[in-house]
Amino acid sequence: MTVATQSTVPAAQTAGPTGPAAPAVAAGPAGGGPGGTRQRRRGERGPLASFGLHLGLLAGAFIALFPPFWLLVTSFKPRSESFSLSLTADFSFDNYQYVINETAFLTWFGNSLLIVVVTTFLAVFISSTTGYALSRFKFPGMRSLMWTLLITQMFPMAVLIVPLYNLMSRYGLLNQPVGLIVTYLTIAVPFCAWMMKGFFDTIPVSIDESGRVDGLSPFGTYWRLVLPLAKPGIAVTAFYSFVTAWAEVAYATAFLTGEQNLTLAGGLQTFVNQHTQDWHHMTAAAVLIAVPAALVFGYAQRHLQAGLTAGATKS
Amino acid sequence: MADASGPPAVAAGGGTTAPAAGPAADRKETGPAGPGGRPGPGALTRLRRGLATHWYAWVMVAPVVAVIGVIVGWPLVRGLYLTFTDADESNVERRIGVNTIDASYEFVGLQNYVDVLTGGHFWDKLVWTVVWTVSCVVITFVIGLTLANMLNRKVRGRSLYRIALILPWAIPAFVSVFAWRMLYNERSGILNAALEGGGLSAMSWLTDPFWAKVSVIAVNVWLGVPFMLIAMLGALQSIPAEQYEAAEMDGATAWQRFWNITLPGVRSVSATVVLLSSIWTFNMFPVIFLLTGGGPVGSTDILVTEAFKLAFQRSPRDFAGSATWGVLILILLILFALVYRRALRQQGDKEGAW
Amino acid sequence: MRRSIGTTAAIAALALTATACGSDGDDAGSGGDGTVTVTYWDTSNETEAKVFRAVAEEFAEGRDDVEVDYVNIGWDGAQDRFKNAAPTGEAPHVMRTEVAWVSDFASLDYLAPLDGTPAVENQDDYLEQAWASTQYDGTTYAVPQVIDTLALFYNKQLLDEAGVDVPESLTDIQDSVDAFEELEAPFYLRGDDAYWFLPYLYGEGGDLVDADSETVTVDDAAGVAAFQAVQDLLDSGAAITDTTDGWESMMSSFGNGDVAMMINGPWAINDARDAIGAENLGVAPVPAGSAAQGSPQGGWNYGVYAGLGEADMSAAQEFVAYMSSAEVQQRITEELSLLPTRSSVYEAESVAANEMVEFFAPAVEVAHERAWIPQANSLFDPLKEEAEAMLLGRATPEETTAAIADRYRELLDWQ
Repeated sequence: MTVATQSTVPAAQTAGPTGPAAPAVAAGPAGGGPGGTRQRRRGERGPLASFGLHLGLLAGAFIALFPPFWLLVTSFKPRSESFSLSLTADFSFDNYQYVINETAFLTWFGNSLLIVVVTTFLAVFISSTTGYALSRFKFPGMRSLMWTLLITQMFPMAVLIVPLYNLMSRYGLLNQPVGLIVTYLTIAVPFCAWMMKGFFDTIPVSIDESGRVDGLSPFGTYWRLVLPLAKPGIAVTAFYSFVTAWAEVAYATAFLTGEQNLTLAGGLQTFVNQHTQDWHHMTAAAVLIAVPAALVFGYAQRHLQAGLTAGATKS
Repeated sequence: MADASGPPAVAAGGGTTAPAAGPAADRKETGPAGPGGRPGPGALTRLRRGLATHWYAWVMVAPVVAVIGVIVGWPLVRGLYLTFTDADESNVERRIGVNTIDASYEFVGLQNYVDVLTGGHFWDKLVWTVVWTVSCVVITFVIGLTLANMLNRKVRGRSLYRIALILPWAIPAFVSVFAWRMLYNERSGILNAALEGGGLSAMSWLTDPFWAKVSVIAVNVWLGVPFMLIAMLGALQSIPAEQYEAAEMDGATAWQRFWNITLPGVRSVSATVVLLSSIWTFNMFPVIFLLTGGGPVGSTDILVTEAFKLAFQRSPRDFAGSATWGVLILILLILFALVYRRALRQQGDKEGAW
Repeated sequence: MRRSIGTTAAIAALALTATACGSDGDDAGSGGDGTVTVTYWDTSNETEAKVFRAVAEEFAEGRDDVEVDYVNIGWDGAQDRFKNAAPTGEAPHVMRTEVAWVSDFASLDYLAPLDGTPAVENQDDYLEQAWASTQYDGTTYAVPQVIDTLALFYNKQLLDEAGVDVPESLTDIQDSVDAFEELEAPFYLRGDDAYWFLPYLYGEGGDLVDADSETVTVDDAAGVAAFQAVQDLLDSGAAITDTTDGWESMMSSFGNGDVAMMINGPWAINDARDAIGAENLGVAPVPAGSAAQGSPQGGWNYGVYAGLGEADMSAAQEFVAYMSSAEVQQRITEELSLLPTRSSVYEAESVAANEMVEFFAPAVEVAHERAWIPQANSLFDPLKEEAEAMLLGRATPEETTAAIADRYRELLDWQ
């Protein structure tokens, strides 16, 4: 269900003055004298209720937008004005120039990209057949595998970080992209397998049956018939595992050391800490990290809800 | 970090709630799907038959089983083992370039567990972690459902509102947290400037233990609402419009409609979403680590940030202790998930359970 | 579909290979052609870093077989980062090591012993105090880079306007509160860094621990008096503080003229001059407590990573010898006003004439030497965290020192 279809949703959901959202705090008081409006016909809303609705949404939108907005504004100010309240003060791109030219920012960006892309590819590649098998077959060991996948997703990083650190140290994988990729796979693989099972569940079994009638092996059915249909699901899965790895902080902080090896999550911390507080550079770096992320997200977001509802609503 | 991974898991969680048509179709072949490991003359035959019937399923899951076994199972077992030792930075194996120093830590039995569970520190952190998790999830859920209800109507500029409201999700959490740190800055942050401009007194957002707790919760809610919003919007849209129409014909008030139609309608998705957000929030590392670093006076440290500090920031580094915390956290989470699942079952909501 | 999956796998495999190759290059060590790259982790601040980078990179000039990889890592995480890197063979050749870290790193076998190696040149020339911080267990594990101590930085103009003399004691500061009506407070008290608490402790004649007798002393009468003095400064309105972001708040309060005085070290000279004007910045000894005037001895050393092969080790030792040579020290002092660790450098004209050196050199001489034990730096976290509780009004000075002492006893296993 995408945005487009939302707007054509039957008027039912816009029902009533305070509608199904009666407890909506912001809308509540503005609903003004519910007794009086109860007679109103469906799909209409009193001006007060409308006002309240917009007020609530505006307030929400303002709170959602302000912190990133302020980050953006600050990134154009010099160090001494980092905390000034004016929107612009000595507007310049100096911070960006510094971050790009004088720090290892681009290297961090490359590190993050490499680690996350490889993790995503591997995780999706490894786990798609498992998702299919879990969705379609009943086999000995299935239940325990499902449980394993589920519990692994609950793993706090605290349970694996110490042994992983020690093992990686033994095999010389610390401070290396490979080490972090392996680490992120511990999160991404169970997650992807679990999620893809959900997507395969939404693909009608009749497709498989037709494949079998045509004499395809289970692999053939999966490969030729089901997988192509699951492309959107794979895309969404990949996107989420990408986003998750992109924003990971704890492992990246503990496992990477040299300036040249950091990912963005580690690199950004170097601008602001107990002893250095280069907010001006930090904000510029933050914007450079956030803008591409937000663009990718914006591009993908209309598919997100589709993916979400595909799994969550039953056909 | 799991915050960002939101919806997919919902899809996943939701997916499991879907009646899995597949297994049913295959169930006939499997017969009694017991593991073929029981000793006895039949075991080998059963294994052979199992192989003949299920080999393709097993081949398909093999990569994941192998990968999880190696990169999750092995470290997990090792981590468990470490919790029974006195491993710290001075006695683990160290590969100092050309020199290697072998591990010299010793087995100490349950000593670490005794130490952790009898000291007050773990329990203090546990209490705050529970408060943190419950507050974050409840507030996020209420705000998410509210906004979803508001968005789920004919409102001018709805798609703009929607984009604005999910923006916090689009930005990596570690970036947003730094933005909030600037806003919270006690002396020169804009929040205090606004308060003072409004004639109020400035707040010690991150330096007073109480307000620091409020502040970290606020940031986590800010980060978490978009996911809730999208999940709830999806759930709301799956409620048939006819139900509202029928209810209205019967003269149900708005509140009654919400209580009797909307809430039950979003129940199954909510059950999954709440469980997942609880687990994520319980494990939420970056917000606390980057916003307050656990301070002031350790008041905002939750279990996972404290476990991280034990192993990587406090000196001397206590690997065994940190691993012990990690294992205890995992046990707590599994217990929670089991109890939650049972509670759902008892309420007769079979769909919400796995 | 089959093809595209195959492509995906190929790309993934390629990327992995690339990863593996890339990481090989990062390993500290000699290349195949016999060239050694000396990796140097510097922890200096932004202003200092420019100079240190230039100096470090010049080491490679005129040497065909050596390259320098200068890496600036934040002071804040430097100790953790080195500790993450060292046990895994990922540490740099040379690490700028805070004086209190040396014994910690050395006790874990992360640093190479340097006695009798080319790294130590003209040992007798080093200031005795600076040299002491390089010793662990009777062996030399580092070479001194700079030495420093804390001092009172004041804004001359603000003091003149208030008609106040440069304070010599905490009492002087407290007495001057009324004269600074227009300021938030006369004095900024750094509340989020343990190092900044030491002058108060020394000022009352106390110390954190006594290493000789292996006793914890922070909770004795002097210790309690020191924390009481801090509390009094804040209560009387003579000082403001923060428990987070203290550095930024201190520098901006001082720079904006919200306060007239702060305690700081030579590393802040350039920033402070930029903020309020060089002619306006005055520096004086830290204000005395009731017993004495005392300021901690700090500074930085060069440590050489223990895990280096022969070629890397000798290059690293030469690098350290170069960086700590009299010429380089002199140049660093000229450009940054940091204090050299070689007595001969103080005799150079440009150094002797440096106003800041003129002030700091005698201050360093009387600076309070800390206990150079492996746990020296681990003493700071408990102090900072418990002091924070006091600054937030959640603990009395007695409770604070008692809590710190408890944690010290647990950490050190001392009396």
